[in-house]
Amino acid sequence: MKISKAMISELPDDLPKSSLLKEKGLIKRFTDRYSESRGRTIIYGSAFTVIIAVVAITLFLTLQGLRSFVVDHINFWTFITGTDWNTDQTKNPSFGAFAFIFGSMSVTLLAALIATPIAIGSAIFMAELAKKWGQRILQPVIEILVGIPSVVYGFIGLTVIVPFMRVHFGGSGFNMLAGAIVVGVMILPTVTSIAADSIRAVPDSLREASYAIGATKWQTIWRVVIPAAGSSLMTAIVLGMSRAFGEALAVQMVIGNATKFPHSIFDPAATLTTIITLSMGDTTTGSVINDALWSLGLILLIISYVFILIIRLLSRRRNV
Amino acid sequence: MVVQMENKITSFVNSEDVDRPVLINVEDTNIYYGDNHAVKHVNMPIHERSITALIGPSGCGKSTFIRTINRMNDLIPSARCEGKIDYHGINILSPKVDVVKLRTEIGMVFQQPNPFPKSISENIQLPLKFAGIHNKKTLRDVTEKCLKQVGLWEEVKDRLDRSATGLSGGQQQRLCIARALALKPDVILLDEPTSALDPVSSAKIEELLLQLKKDYTIVIVTHNMQQAARIADYTAFFYQGELVEFGTTKTLFTMPEKKSTSDYICGRFG
Amino acid sequence: MNSKVTNRIALSLIVLCAVIMVSTLAALLGYILVKGLTNISWHFLTSESSAFMAGGGIKDQLWNSFYVLIITMILTIPIGTSGGIYLAEYARPGKLTSFIRSCVEVLASLPSIVVGMFGMLIFVNYFGFKFSVLSGALALTVFNLPVIVRVTEDGFRALPLHQKEGGLALGLTHWHTIKTILLPEAFPSILTGIILSAGRVFGESAALLFTAGMSTPNLDFTNWNPASPNSPLNLFRSAETLSVHIWAVNTSGIIPDIQAVANGSSAVLVICVLMFNLLARAVGKMINQKLSGR
Repeated sequence: MKISKAMISELPDDLPKSSLLKEKGLIKRFTDRYSESRGRTIIYGSAFTVIIAVVAITLFLTLQGLRSFVVDHINFWTFITGTDWNTDQTKNPSFGAFAFIFGSMSVTLLAALIATPIAIGSAIFMAELAKKWGQRILQPVIEILVGIPSVVYGFIGLTVIVPFMRVHFGGSGFNMLAGAIVVGVMILPTVTSIAADSIRAVPDSLREASYAIGATKWQTIWRVVIPAAGSSLMTAIVLGMSRAFGEALAVQMVIGNATKFPHSIFDPAATLTTIITLSMGDTTTGSVINDALWSLGLILLIISYVFILIIRLLSRRRNV
Repeated sequence: MVVQMENKITSFVNSEDVDRPVLINVEDTNIYYGDNHAVKHVNMPIHERSITALIGPSGCGKSTFIRTINRMNDLIPSARCEGKIDYHGINILSPKVDVVKLRTEIGMVFQQPNPFPKSISENIQLPLKFAGIHNKKTLRDVTEKCLKQVGLWEEVKDRLDRSATGLSGGQQQRLCIARALALKPDVILLDEPTSALDPVSSAKIEELLLQLKKDYTIVIVTHNMQQAARIADYTAFFYQGELVEFGTTKTLFTMPEKKSTSDYICGRFG
Repeated sequence: MNSKVTNRIALSLIVLCAVIMVSTLAALLGYILVKGLTNISWHFLTSESSAFMAGGGIKDQLWNSFYVLIITMILTIPIGTSGGIYLAEYARPGKLTSFIRSCVEVLASLPSIVVGMFGMLIFVNYFGFKFSVLSGALALTVFNLPVIVRVTEDGFRALPLHQKEGGLALGLTHWHTIKTILLPEAFPSILTGIILSAGRVFGESAALLFTAGMSTPNLDFTNWNPASPNSPLNLFRSAETLSVHIWAVNTSGIIPDIQAVANGSSAVLVICVLMFNLLARAVGKMINQKLSGR
């Protein structure tokens, strides 16, 4: 095998042999094939778009949400503590959104109460008791259910839960509990799937150590696995709650949309999202009621940020 | 002990290859990974058209060092280099150096054969196309010549458009060498090129390197001392981040100056 | 109490949880499909919806859902994949990178109605796109972007480092290495993620209420000129999607066959989402086979 460099002499000689130093000049950087400025510009631009989107959402919703206080002189304090929501322009209108804030909070909490035990229990079942089939059958089924659109949950709530409520608890059947059940079921697969992941992430060495000292399966789960997965499980629950909190249409379909303050979970109620869903289309831009709705949106945004912060704190603790 | 070793290794490389001029000169080079001082005060020449082997126990900094010669360590955010590696009057470590151009002149082949999951001919043509060569005939000719250079042509000429991942490990590694040759580099760096291969493929690669050194400057990292003794003109022994000893392979293996060198060569550690 | 007895009781409770969960979800799917499938007919899928009379179909809504989805994907995929590539390949640890990461996280966790309100404020009112396919798609882009960014970043991070080294060592630029070597390799896993996210976009409703609108002009499916107002391709017409339709029919519909239309629409929606899911799974499986078949 005779090899010589002459064999590949057809290669143009001006190839890269010129200079090893970087080329200067802005235009050159874009035309030179060795430069990667073109690709980089696209990439950096896209990353920047994400920032723009977040900043724009925050900024514009804040500006629009503050209008009712700044332009329309609604008292901020009565807005968030008042319970009287009367938008009739002819009579003295009042904007007290506490009923909605309360409605959102209670629906979220109730949904978490409904979903958490079942979700954590199923997650333990999937990740600890029936690993094989948990992995092979339950996991894909749950992942598919995560993708079921929320209107479908709302629709089922409307056709199954509401009539059930009407028969057994009287009234119209549209009430807060129905809303909580609908979102509770809706977040069930999400919470289960994240919780199962965090239980799987607990190293086996911990379990073995527990079994080695004669602990039963349940003692191992309760004393070792759950504490070890603790903050991840919390993250799963909080994520579920934040989804429940932000859900609009499914709740709106079953909760009854009463602007009065609910006195029991069997009373119709409204949440921040439902009142926005319901009224936003019927109001004209710039009117006081429309501004008040944007303020509700701002509250929604702020509470979403609080959820995001809590999740960050939880996951930071996990990483330490 | 040393004498025994010499008996075992029957043929050192021809000594006439050891008077080549210096192509790359490494002067007081230090490499850090964060706070870890991985390579300490290395001074050594790399001679033109010869094979320089870097040997030493694992973790001694030899791979880190070879990856610095074509700035592959830039990929690791925590890595930092100080010192001077002179190449044609330019300091390779300088931030002014265009690393992309540098790498077309100083190619590299890795431990794990890493052909791209594309066809065999595309693997070789990719760097050429990037360099602006689109003439189909030139591309075909260069592909053929590079494959001939590594002795792969006869084995693959009927399946140039099949995926390169279907080749055997040894063939993949030779393809990677062919790929590195396509742009006519001056220097080829090889980071343990045979450690993932079977003995027969390794022998083929060694034979290939001996052929290639007629035209290329070759630096090879190896943990196999016999391999260094068989093919290298110069050998550098690294230990704990320091260059312990550098010299012609014959000298280093038969008359090592430092005790740790002879200990390593005799297999007392590593 | 005896620890063995506790063990028994606790484990049975766990199994009970799992049973409740599975039966709830199975009942849910079963209910939708069984009740819905009886209402799905060729006529239902291919006729226009009716505002007052029974016997309306969902042709326009179905078309709108897919059209909005396609426009969304056209907008999201380039930006999202580029953003993911930035995070996986270019971002250096630092304040900017962690800020971008936080932004992705925030975008991913904002309630979709907030995104819808933002879309209404900016795209519908400020840019004057009105309630339109374009406004809806832009809002959904905001909603879908973080998903694609994450999928791409994960896809790139899963690649072996030696491929990238191989490209760089040949004197390819980083960008060229990404374009010709890494992207083709990461493509299948990114595709799986994109299809999954398509299912999510397809079912989204709250973000579309105030952006794509709750009505559709009479579409003329023989007119494919995007500029004409009743063309299915027109970007600037309002477009009620299937999921919005389900909501609208249930809450404010006055047609006599609400139940039938809602049942049928829900089933179609669920079937579409299931198909996206199964498709993603099939693509994922294919990749696995290809990888292990090597």
